Amino acid sequence: MGNKFEITNNIRKLRFFADEMTQQQLAEKAGVSRQTIIAIEGGKYSPSLELAFRIAYAFSVQIGEVFDCRVAENKKE
Amino acid sequence: MSYQVAKNVTNIISGTVVLIVYLFYVSGSYQDGLLVMDDLKYWAQVMLIFIGIGIAMAILVQIVFHILFSIGLAVKESIKNGNCNDQEIERTIKLEMVEDEMGKLIELKSMRVSYSTAGVGFVASLILLYFEYPPFMALNVLFVSFCVGSILDGCTQLYYYKRGV
Repeated sequence: MGNKFEITNNIRKLRFFADEMTQQQLAEKAGVSRQTIIAIEGGKYSPSLELAFRIAYAFSVQIGEVFDCRVAENKKE
Repeated sequence: MSYQVAKNVTNIISGTVVLIVYLFYVSGSYQDGLLVMDDLKYWAQVMLIFIGIGIAMAILVQIVFHILFSIGLAVKESIKNGNCNDQEIERTIKLEMVEDEMGKLIELKSMRVSYSTAGVGFVASLILLYFEYPPFMALNVLFVSFCVGSILDGCTQLYYYKRGV
């Protein structure tokens, strides 16, 4: 079986550097609800590729600066 | 409490109220000896009435909920900004009520739960008929399973909004 990937994000950090942008403002820019931004920021929801690009666009950065992916360690091994 | 969570809570409450009222009505009529067990037309009439009550109540509760939610947002907005700008409040309300990809995914997952519940109820009612239980019992199991399915739909949505997808 393929490895399990864990998606992390830097949204909190990017919001801080974007003049402490609120979750509501980011939600407005990305065209989603605040609830969705909260879930993405907390790692509870992995957005679609389109939404990931829209979030990156809202911060004017590359998508790789917002989201990162690493292989989760297999606990059985 | 976000818009989606509050909406689900009101849906669960209205669904539960309809189910409880129905169960009280049926058990009360049974105790008073008013139930016509074999008259399927009577049961169809009772269930149609309760479906109507359920739909009317859901619409009413949604209207009241949206009015109260909008008032709540307006008050919060005016406290935060110090003034009551109608356009700003309207914009905030629209933003809160937006339905996005996460909402749609959660809706799909919860729908699966409610369909499964209704399906289990349907199979249970068929099993009852197979074992020669009276048809009104099978009808009631079917009706209750649909009601429980709609309540579970709301509960599943709440769960996914809290825990994440």
